[in-house]
Amino acid sequence: MKPTPVLETLNLTKVFPGVVALDDVSLTLYPGEVLGLVGENGAGKSTLMKLIGGVFPPTRGRIRYRGEEVQFRTPKDALDAGISIVYQELNLIPHLSVAENIFINRLPRRRGFVDWGRLYRDAARILEASGMGEIDPRAIVSGLPIGVKQSVEIAKALSYDARVLLLDEPTSSLTGPEIENLFGVIRRLQEQGIGIVYVSHHLDEIFEITDRVHVLRDGRTVVEMPTAETTEEAIVARMVGRDLQDIYYKGDHRPGEVALEARGLSDAVLDGVDFHVRRSEVVGIYGLLGSGRTELLKAIVGARPLRAGEVRLRGRPVRFRHPQEAARAGVIYSSEDRKGENLFFGQPIWKNETYLALQIGRFVRMGFAQVAEERRAAEAYSRKLGVKAPSIDVDVYHLSGGNQQKVCLAKALINDPEVVLLDEPTRGIDVGAKLEIYKLIAELADQGKAVVFVSSELPEVIGCADRVYTMAGGRITAELTGEAITEENVLRYCLQTASPGEAAP
Amino acid sequence: MKLNKSLLSSSEFIVFLGLLAVGAFFAFTSPVFLTKFNLLNILLQSSIQGIIAIGMTFVILTAGIDLSVGSVVALSGVLMALMLHGGVPVWAVILINLAFGVAVGVFHGFSITKIGMAPFIVTLATMAMARGLTMVFSDGKTIFDFPPAFEFFGAGQIGPISVAVIIFLLYALVAEVVLRSTVLGRNIYAVGSNIQAAALSGIRTHGVLYFVYIVSGVSCAIAGLVLTGRLGAAMPTAAMGYELDAIAAVIIGGASLMGGKGTIVGTIIGVLLIGVINNGMNLLNVPPFWQSFLKGAVIFLAVMIDSLKNRPSEV
Repeated sequence: MKPTPVLETLNLTKVFPGVVALDDVSLTLYPGEVLGLVGENGAGKSTLMKLIGGVFPPTRGRIRYRGEEVQFRTPKDALDAGISIVYQELNLIPHLSVAENIFINRLPRRRGFVDWGRLYRDAARILEASGMGEIDPRAIVSGLPIGVKQSVEIAKALSYDARVLLLDEPTSSLTGPEIENLFGVIRRLQEQGIGIVYVSHHLDEIFEITDRVHVLRDGRTVVEMPTAETTEEAIVARMVGRDLQDIYYKGDHRPGEVALEARGLSDAVLDGVDFHVRRSEVVGIYGLLGSGRTELLKAIVGARPLRAGEVRLRGRPVRFRHPQEAARAGVIYSSEDRKGENLFFGQPIWKNETYLALQIGRFVRMGFAQVAEERRAAEAYSRKLGVKAPSIDVDVYHLSGGNQQKVCLAKALINDPEVVLLDEPTRGIDVGAKLEIYKLIAELADQGKAVVFVSSELPEVIGCADRVYTMAGGRITAELTGEAITEENVLRYCLQTASPGEAAP
Repeated sequence: MKLNKSLLSSSEFIVFLGLLAVGAFFAFTSPVFLTKFNLLNILLQSSIQGIIAIGMTFVILTAGIDLSVGSVVALSGVLMALMLHGGVPVWAVILINLAFGVAVGVFHGFSITKIGMAPFIVTLATMAMARGLTMVFSDGKTIFDFPPAFEFFGAGQIGPISVAVIIFLLYALVAEVVLRSTVLGRNIYAVGSNIQAAALSGIRTHGVLYFVYIVSGVSCAIAGLVLTGRLGAAMPTAAMGYELDAIAAVIIGGASLMGGKGTIVGTIIGVLLIGVINNGMNLLNVPPFWQSFLKGAVIFLAVMIDSLKNRPSEV
C-alpha cells in the first residue's frame, strides 16, 4: 500500500573515538512526507543528518536512496544525487543577490562571462516552483528579513533537484508569521513528492507539520510512529527516558512586596512600558521576536539608553546607566545570546561564572582578583546548578547549550541578586536541561527573589509564571494572572497590536 | 602535573623552543654569540622594543592595534630634547614626557570609544601626525647634548646591567602582574574576547579601552626616554618601523589579533627572538638587505606553527 521509501537508513552506526554517536538507527522516509526527527542535544540527530548528507561515512550500516544502496563520499555526492541539507546557521553570502546565492558555485556562463539574464530567469523559476514566487531574485540578501533568507536557503537546496530535504532547526530564529510561511513552503514541497526530514526542539511544530516522528535517545531509535498517534507529553517522556508527572514546576511561593517597578519606559523600541515584579514571584514576559522584550530588560539595567520613564527598586527611584550599577544594586540581566553577549568563549567555566561578581567587588582585594575564592564559589555554583563538565577549568566553548546556559545562570546567581532578569534562558537547549531550569526558576522565587522570565515558548511561560505580560510593538499589551493565563489569551494579546506583515529586523 | 601539561602545549613554550633553537644555531656558527657581553647587548637592544611591545600587548589583547608607536617614540624624544635645551629640569622633562604619553593614549581612547573610529585608522593617522610634528619641531635635524642625569636612563649602568634593561624588566614585571592578577587585567582579556558580553557583565568597556591605549602611549614615552638617552641624541627619524616589530613580537609570543589571547611572557620571548635574530645576523655578517628578508621569514614561520595547531577547516 505504501510507496517505496525515498530514503532508508539500515542499522546505521557511527563510532567516534571513544563515543558511539549513533547506534543501529533505521529510519524510513517516504516521498511527500514530513518526518520529524527529535531528541535531546547529543542524542545523535546531527550525526544522523551528516551520515545521510555524506559529510562522513558510517562505521556500520547502509543507506538506501530511491530503492538503491548508496555510498556518498562527500556532501557533493549526496547533493548531486538529490539529498540537500539546510543547516541551522544560514550559509548565505550577505552582499550578493538571491539568484547569485542560489547558483553560487555554478553561475550560468556565456563566453566566460556570467549570463545574468539566464541566472535571474532560472532563479525566478526555482523560487516560483517552491512557492516563493514573491521573492525577487535580484534582491540583495543582507537586506532581507531572516525568514526570507531561510526561504532562499531552501530554494538553494532545492535547486539541485532535491528529492530529499533535511531541515535542521529551521525555525530557531523565525517569528510566528515567518514560521507559518515556512510551513506553507514545506507543504508545497510535500505535494511535489519531496521527502522532508524536519529536526526541531519545538514539539508544537512537530505536531503541526510532520506526518510521522522519529525519536532518538543516546544515539538509538526509541520509536518511529505516526505523529497523530502520540502526544507531546509522550514524546518528551521518550526523549528524556522517564515519565514526567508535570513538566513545569511552580514551586511554593507567595508573591511579596514590589521589588522592581518600571513606569512609562520609552526608547527607540519601547513605547511607554509599565511593569513590575514582586519578591517571590516569577513574572513571564511573552512576545515575538522584535516585540521589545529584550530591549525592556536591557533598558532596565542600563544597557540601552532610555528616552523617558522611571525605574523603582524597592520603591526608590533608580536610574542605572550601566549594567554594573544595576548589578551593584542587585538587579542582574542574563542575555539570551549566550555566545554573542553572555559568555566568553575560550575561557574556562570558573572565569565565566565570576566576571560579573568581580565587577561589583566580590572576590577582589585591593584590585586583585582572589582566584582561590573565585574557584571555590564557581565550583559550588556549578555543582548546585548541575553543570556537567569534567572540571571548572573546561573552556565553555566545549559545553553543550544546556550546560552553557547553566554557566550563564551561575554567573548571575553567584551574586545573590534580588531581581533576576532572564532573557530566554531555555533557547536552543534540550528538554532535560529545560526542566532543570524551570525548577531552578521556581526555587529562586521560593527563596524570595524576584524573577522575570522572558520566553518565546508559550507552554513554558504558562507553566512557570505566576503572572504574565504579553508584549508587542514595544508595548505591554496585557497583564494576565491566575486562571486568565491560557494559551489562547496570551496569543491573542501578543498578536493584538502587532501589525500582521511585521518582520523582525 | 596538569600545570606542566598546559605549560608544554602553550604558545609561549613553543616560541621559547624556537628561541632556543635559533640561539643554538648562532652559538654554533658564531664564536662571539654566547659571550656574556653579547648576551647583555642583546638584552639592551631588545629593551626598547620590549617596552613598546608590552604596551602593544595590552592593546592587542583588546583586539585593537596601535600603529603610532614608532612615531610617538620619536616625537617624545624630540619634545624632551627641546625642553632640555630650553632649560627645563630633567625630572620635570620626564614627568611631562610621561604626561605626553598619557595624552596620546587619551586621544586614541576618546576617538575609539566616544567617536567610534577603528583603532587601525586612528593610530595610522597619529602615526603620520606624530612623525610630521617630529619633523616640524626638530626642523628635520638631530638634536644633541643632554645632561648626564637624563642620559642615565638610556646609557647608564648599575653594576654590569644597563639601566635600560632594568627599566624593561621592571616594567614587564608590573605589566605581567596587572594582566595576570588584577581585575583590570581580567577585564582586558574579557573585552578582547567578547566586548558585548563584557559590557553586559558590568565591565566598563570604554574605561578598559582608554586604559590600554594610555599604557601604549606611556610605553612609547618610556621607550623615547630610554632611546634618546642611549643615543645621546633625538633624531626625527628615530624608531621608524618599530610598530611592525612590536606587533610581530606580540603575535610571535602567542597573542591573537582577534583579542583575548596573549601574555607578557610570550611577548618578551617574541621580542628576544627578534633581538637574537638581528644580533646573530650581524655577527654572521649577513648583508642588510637579506637581514630584512630573513627576519620576515622567521616571523612567518613562528606564526605559522602556532596557526597550524588550530587551523580552521574551510567549510
